[in-house]
Amino acid sequence: MAALEWQLGTVTTIQPETPKTKSFYVALPKWAGHRPGQHIDLRLTAPDGYQTQRSYSIASPPELSGQLELTVDLIQDGEVSPYLHDVVMQGDQLELRGPVGGYFVWDVTVGGPLLLVGGGSGVVPLMAMLRHRAAQHSTIPARLLYSCRTPDDVIYRDELNQLAGSVAGLEVLITFTRQAPAGWTGYQRRIDAAMLNEVITPFGTSARTYVCGPTLLVESVANLLVGMGLPADRVHTERFGPTGS
Amino acid sequence: MNVETADMNTELMVDGNAIAGELEQIFGHDMTMAVARCAGCAADSMMATLMAFVRGPGAVLRCPSCTSVIARIVETPTATYLDARGMLYLRMTHAS
Repeated sequence: MAALEWQLGTVTTIQPETPKTKSFYVALPKWAGHRPGQHIDLRLTAPDGYQTQRSYSIASPPELSGQLELTVDLIQDGEVSPYLHDVVMQGDQLELRGPVGGYFVWDVTVGGPLLLVGGGSGVVPLMAMLRHRAAQHSTIPARLLYSCRTPDDVIYRDELNQLAGSVAGLEVLITFTRQAPAGWTGYQRRIDAAMLNEVITPFGTSARTYVCGPTLLVESVANLLVGMGLPADRVHTERFGPTGS
Repeated sequence: MNVETADMNTELMVDGNAIAGELEQIFGHDMTMAVARCAGCAADSMMATLMAFVRGPGAVLRCPSCTSVIARIVETPTATYLDARGMLYLRMTHAS
């Protein structure tokens, strides 16, 4: 198998998603394709040779060829994300390698029913799965439970609304943990056992679950799901570490 | 740091997915689904599910069951060091 090689991509579009999240479209002439849920390693090199790298989930589905969408949360005291947010411009080059990871991966061949649970920017790899599902016109039952602090923090809000309204068998449920929009009748608390139980009920313990977000949210949700009787090998987890604020 | 958590180590912890690239660089293929048996408690865990601490000079992987150190990986400008004495074995299923 070919070694994982660093390659140069060109930033073609930068799109703000929320006040602290931006999507970067990167054109990659040598990209060999990826599966939904995989990520890339991005490496920055300073003029003095100092290097640092981070891994970022791929937001775009495999069906978008020739380029990747990376959605990056701004970590205030971070080393890489402030550079991406504040310095990188359209036309700049970025060095990355991938795709990496095979564990946190879902495509239509894996089947369902599919329960996706995301917190904050943990929605990014889940979005690649939902975009792939839509591009394949799959009717595999799918639910996304997405935890956000406030309405301003909902990444891909318009697209999620549009997908939920137009794609068969998909439900998007958002819970707001700090402040909900006026007139909100949905969930307004952290994800807990009662909420997970309601969300998973139509699928039961046959659900294939993918949980991604801040470490503490993932720990809590994964433990609850296993406690509800889901086999551990159907609970896939990816921990992003600290939250962005 | 999230003010709702007091424990910085837990807050900064990620999992084996975060070093999938480093592992693939060392082993030549994806390792996230390879299973490591912990030398401390004999629990089997996929590499993706190991607790990972990646903000130091190297990466430390710990067992999610007993928190023993399973492996340490350090990259220097000239070499990669892998200390895997915390695992009894690593099981890599053949590609089908």
